[in-house]
Amino acid sequence: MSQMETQTTTGETEEQIRDEWLEYDFEGESALSVEDLDVFYGNDQALQSISMDVPEKSVTALIGPSGCGKSTFLRCLNRMNDRIDAARVEGTVEFDGENIYDDDVNLVELRKRIGMVFQSPNPFPKSIRENISYGPRKHGDIDTGLVARLLGRDDRDEEEELVERCLRGAALWDEVHDRLDDNALGLSGGQQQRLCIARALAVSPDVLLMDEPASALDPIATSKIEDLVEELAEEYTVVIVTHNMQQAARISDQTAVFLTGGELVEYGDTDQIFENPQSQRVEDYITGKFG
Amino acid sequence: MSGASTTQAISRSFGELDWPARIAGLVGALSLIAAFAAFIVEPGAVVFPALVFVAVALYGWFAHQAETARSLTFLATASTLVILGVITVYLFVKAVPILRQMGASLLTSAVWDVHGGRYGLVTMMWGTLVTTIIATLVSAPLGVAGAVFISEIAPKSVREAVKPAIELLAGIPSIVYGYIGFVVINSYMMDLFRLPTNGSLFIVGLVIGVMALPTVVSVSEDALNAVPNAMKDGSVALGSTDWQTTKSVSVPAAISGISAAVILGVGRALGETMAATVILANVTQLPEPLYDVFGNTITLTSAIASQYGVAAGRPTQLSALFAAGVVLFVVVLALSVVSQTIERRMQQTLGGDQ
Amino acid sequence: MSESGGANHDRANIVTETSGVDRLAGVPAVFGAVAFVVGWAIVFRWVHVTDVLAGVTYATLLSAGHVLAAVVLCAVGVLSTTGVVDTDPDDSTGLFTALAFGAIAFVGVGLTASQTFDTGAGVWLPASVVALVLVTVAVLSVPEDLGVTLPVAAFELVVGLAVLTDVIGPSWTWSPHGFSASFVGPIAIAAFAMVGSLLCVWAGTNASQGFGSRGRELGAYSLISTYAAALLAILVLLIVFVVQNGIDQVLKGAQLWPFKLPFVLNGYGLQYDVNGIFPAIVGTVWLVVGAVVFAVPLAVGAAVYLTEYADQGRFTRIVETATNGLWSTPSIVYGLFAFAFLLPRIQNNVTLLTGQLVLGFMLLPLVLITSREALQNVPDEYRDASAALGVTQWQTIRSVVLPAAIPGVLTGVILGVGRIAGETAPILLVLVREPFSASAPSVIGSFHFTASAPFVTNEALLSPATALPYQLFAVITAGVGASQEFGWGTALVLLCVVMFFYAIGITTRIYFRRKLRQ
Ligand SMILES: Nc1ncnc2c1ncn2[C@@H]1O[C@H](COP(=O)(O)OP(=O)(O)OP(=O)(O)O)[C@@H](O)[C@H]1O
Ligand SMILES: [Mg+2]
Repeated sequence: MSQMETQTTTGETEEQIRDEWLEYDFEGESALSVEDLDVFYGNDQALQSISMDVPEKSVTALIGPSGCGKSTFLRCLNRMNDRIDAARVEGTVEFDGENIYDDDVNLVELRKRIGMVFQSPNPFPKSIRENISYGPRKHGDIDTGLVARLLGRDDRDEEEELVERCLRGAALWDEVHDRLDDNALGLSGGQQQRLCIARALAVSPDVLLMDEPASALDPIATSKIEDLVEELAEEYTVVIVTHNMQQAARISDQTAVFLTGGELVEYGDTDQIFENPQSQRVEDYITGKFG
Repeated sequence: MSGASTTQAISRSFGELDWPARIAGLVGALSLIAAFAAFIVEPGAVVFPALVFVAVALYGWFAHQAETARSLTFLATASTLVILGVITVYLFVKAVPILRQMGASLLTSAVWDVHGGRYGLVTMMWGTLVTTIIATLVSAPLGVAGAVFISEIAPKSVREAVKPAIELLAGIPSIVYGYIGFVVINSYMMDLFRLPTNGSLFIVGLVIGVMALPTVVSVSEDALNAVPNAMKDGSVALGSTDWQTTKSVSVPAAISGISAAVILGVGRALGETMAATVILANVTQLPEPLYDVFGNTITLTSAIASQYGVAAGRPTQLSALFAAGVVLFVVVLALSVVSQTIERRMQQTLGGDQ
Repeated sequence: MSESGGANHDRANIVTETSGVDRLAGVPAVFGAVAFVVGWAIVFRWVHVTDVLAGVTYATLLSAGHVLAAVVLCAVGVLSTTGVVDTDPDDSTGLFTALAFGAIAFVGVGLTASQTFDTGAGVWLPASVVALVLVTVAVLSVPEDLGVTLPVAAFELVVGLAVLTDVIGPSWTWSPHGFSASFVGPIAIAAFAMVGSLLCVWAGTNASQGFGSRGRELGAYSLISTYAAALLAILVLLIVFVVQNGIDQVLKGAQLWPFKLPFVLNGYGLQYDVNGIFPAIVGTVWLVVGAVVFAVPLAVGAAVYLTEYADQGRFTRIVETATNGLWSTPSIVYGLFAFAFLLPRIQNNVTLLTGQLVLGFMLLPLVLITSREALQNVPDEYRDASAALGVTQWQTIRSVVLPAAIPGVLTGVILGVGRIAGETAPILLVLVREPFSASAPSVIGSFHFTASAPFVTNEALLSPATALPYQLFAVITAGVGASQEFGWGTALVLLCVVMFFYAIGITTRIYFRRKLRQ
């Protein structure tokens, strides 16, 4: 309804207006640049031609009502959607000068550099220590196996150091430092989620995709995670999905608003989105009138 | 114990009934017990108590359906337990005479002397052990590899076709395998491996291993499939390959189910009868030397199958065969308990994150 | 090595450059795939090692292939390790791989020392242990690209040259001490082809990805896929083999109009032009029907009681353990029980009824287990919702729980029926007097009602019968010869009957599982 008004007053088409809202000029390089991205689950379209550039070394928040395709979008950025049989992705995502959907992309290398924390915690049924060192072990950066030990190439010190650094980074160290060899499934939901963050940090990716990392956390842990995210943004590019407007306003540099149906409605500086949204629908969503 | 509380519950609901119903319940229960007793003592007389029972049940069904249903299901439970119990107890009771006669040497002697009436089970146990080991060496690694293929490697379309096909193949009757072994493989082995006799433990082990393969594949695939996708996604998102994920996440998480599958395969191999009976010549003599897997021996199952006809007139031999049955039963029951314990543990480990 | 510390260290490109090595490494992989098939063909005697293809024997072709693969693998390893081509190998090959190569060296050295040079265990055992340790350590101490290619190349070279120089030729035989079997040249050549081919497929595909984690992945995947293809092929061949051998017999004298299928519809005897197995088919049907009538009500009733009425605790767990144990009890044990316990009590003779009962006993635990599973899978919300409406427990069970559980119960029954229909062991001595009988039991027509006890009799139930699996067994015990054809026909019909039940059971299960997920 409000759109209709805009349309009539300015005489522009809806499309042009939206393109304007989506236009976001920023200084510096973009880490990821998404171009005309469509995602289908079977015959249902979950994302409708999304285009946006994610600036590097900053925090980009994705907000929007439940089911609007935020997780889907995030999974496109490191090709985790390849693992869903029904999912089909069209369009391009450029990273490091390459389209990550090209055939010759090395998915292992890609996912090493674009890490991900999932919406619900998914620790491995292994010890806390093994959860953290899992990635580096698989990449051959850490080896504490029998042979390495015999040959004197044992990396146990590095492992200890890595585990402590990552757990501190994820604000979990104090709670678990005396039970690193316990099974990670014995942790609480919030602890598990922070463990998953620590696990992703251990691979030290360039880009970190976080899907509602604080949804299962209490306020104290949440604020720790928020501090962490802001800290990370000095070195990493962080894309974070959140349902919490205040959180998005607090920690992010820019915000993208998705609305039901899988469209990106507005994208820009976080301050501008929250204080002066261009679109009526976004304003309604942010002020809680809708969604 | 809940058995006691069950009885209490029964007597409580019994107390709530009116007089005719109580009498009917009593008569029904008594008539059923009488029928069981009659079958054991005087089979021809079963029909009278059985008729009484049917009459009571019919009356109950129309007058007090809920109570009758409850009692009938309880009786079904009791009958099932009685039947299974009778089988077990009878097996042990019939094995007692030979144990009395032979003592511990029943399990340590390799003599099987029908005329002298002396029976030791070592030969059969050795045969069963060797065939089971060979079969397990075939079915366990190959079965797990097949499960990994179906659940982790194959594309969806292949998976959806292969899984039911494997389940279907698990149903091929053992006598068909036995027939192929008897007609084709025996002569093939004599021809190409120059075996001196028809049949050998090696062939039996191989055939049983192939026979158990589909079961092991299918059950371990179920276990691998039960590992939550989110867990695998977590590994892949850290930049590990699918193969690393399989090795380090899926297989360890499913290891209890996979071991249960392997144990199931071992159980199948242990109890497989027809293939062994028809492929082997069932010679009651240990191979010479012991490790000659191409030798012709006998297994516990094939001993029973090939001898219980002739043993009908010789109580000690029949009793010895029952002893063989007891050995099989005990081993299989132990395996089953182990695999159930493992499976319960698996549910606990994987249940934590759901 | 502890690079994982900082975020800004050197990053590998996310796109892999293609180097020539993947095409070169394709050579051993392709040879491996071909040699695998040829190896099986030799084992199945579709080709013989001395058969000639394009002027050369298969033995020579295979061994030349082994040598070629060895040379190419060597080249790939050297090119990669000298940095001529761009690859991504780890510092060292894994322990498991190294041990596997060590084990091959152990077996090879052990066999050569003990058999060729005829040394005693005092010599060959230490020699092969030394070989195991040496090879393992050697593989571990070189970078992955050499650790993968060189041992495989060495194996290929040795077996290739052994066959080429006729050390192990088609006419070679080996009779190991203490074993009754002898091994001949063709089998050895086939074995070399199969083992070598798997190694080649593994090493070749591994190298084609430039080693590293992706190389190991493709190596393992191609190895497992090759094996899975072989497994499926063998199992399918098994069925094809039975069909091929049995179809002639089954279709003997068959015609469409007027419909005639004598093998399936005739009895066995002089009055028939084509002897058939109709009595056995009918016998199997009645066995299954009897077992189902006996076992299903009991088992389902017990499952209902145990799941819905009894307190879940020690009692139900013990029952569960007992039923699981009895389900895995070997079927011959049931046969033994029936022979010693049931037989003397029922007519003191082999009867259809005894067969039905013993198969019913076998069916009992299975149906109990699957029905319990099906009942437990009915969500508790159903029961709560129904109870909240003030409906009594029995009505809830009857109108909510049982209907929801019926698919699961049905699937269990069908699969169980498939299983018992093919069972021979339990009915060996309790059912059959005349395996090749002329007429089928007519159970329905044999009910007689009498005025005195036991009021109703059924002659057919209390007479001997025959069954499909038993018939097959009888063909075997009767000796090989003219009856072999008959056996194959019986095997085919039996296979069809059992597969029919399984196919229905599996399809219903898949169907209901899908429905459940939606
Ligand atoms: N695996 C899948 N198969 C089919 N449809 C899916 C799948 N995953 C998501 N969808 C659909 O795609 C749409 C977007 O889902 P998505 O998970 O991206 O939403 P979301 O914005 O993350 O929601 P939430 O905030 O609740 O997490 C939804 O309509 C959902 O039903
Ligand atoms: Mg989401």
